[in-house]
Amino acid sequence: MSKTSIVELLEAGLKAEAMRQRAIANNTANLQTPGYRRLNVKFEQLLNKAIESGGEFDFEEFEPEFYHPNNTAVKADGNDVNLEVEVGELVKNSLRHKAFIRLLNKKYSQIERAIDLR
Amino acid sequence: MIFVYRPGVGKTEPAGVEKMKVDNVFGPIDIAVSGLRSQNKQMEIVSSNIANARTTNAGKGEPYRRLEAVFKSDSDEIAGVELERITRDMGDFSRVLDPGHPEADENGYVQMPNVSIPIEMMTLTQATRAYQANAAVLRRYQQMVETTLELLR
Repeated sequence: MSKTSIVELLEAGLKAEAMRQRAIANNTANLQTPGYRRLNVKFEQLLNKAIESGGEFDFEEFEPEFYHPNNTAVKADGNDVNLEVEVGELVKNSLRHKAFIRLLNKKYSQIERAIDLR
Repeated sequence: MIFVYRPGVGKTEPAGVEKMKVDNVFGPIDIAVSGLRSQNKQMEIVSSNIANARTTNAGKGEPYRRLEAVFKSDSDEIAGVELERITRDMGDFSRVLDPGHPEADENGYVQMPNVSIPIEMMTLTQATRAYQANAAVLRRYQQMVETTLELLR
């Protein structure tokens, strides 16, 4: 087990979800903007790489990043946003968010129980 | 159009070995979205057909030819649907007697598109229902995962 705590990991996950939410909102808002390319957030791949490169890493420096996926179908006006895809992403994001929040909650109640032990 | 869902990208796994992967948690969502997208496209094609039901000149000296969507699945595995191509219906045009029409031939007949409104209305209903079904799958799956997450409370 590396030194990275569960709380830190969940925190990073939540941060990525917040960014993803912003990306989805931005994409949906620009559904009709000519030339707009959709945004996505790179997080899981970066986290995977960081973990595989050897146990410890600094969460302060670990940042999810925005990127433009290039495997999407571009419409005639240069826009590649699809409403259905964004809805799907939104559902996934909210489920992931819920899972993270619940896990964090569990962790905190564990700590609380340990403090309350008399 | 790209909306391919690939179940679990395990590289070390030998082919043919089916395993539950964490990766697959959001699989049904991607599949439902691919269904929504293709039915959306189907709807677009139907509206083009209906809009052009009386277009006597679609270039090339021909009336409008009815369009048809061809869907395909990515593979025989669990996968979403994809719009393979849009084909033209090569069926016969209908001939309508209308001597006053600028496109009429010497006998007074005009070639009309091979669009049949009742058929288009049926396809429209099918597309609508299929869209609803895919949306229902998406919602149900969301509820299912939420049930699982309830266990985390």
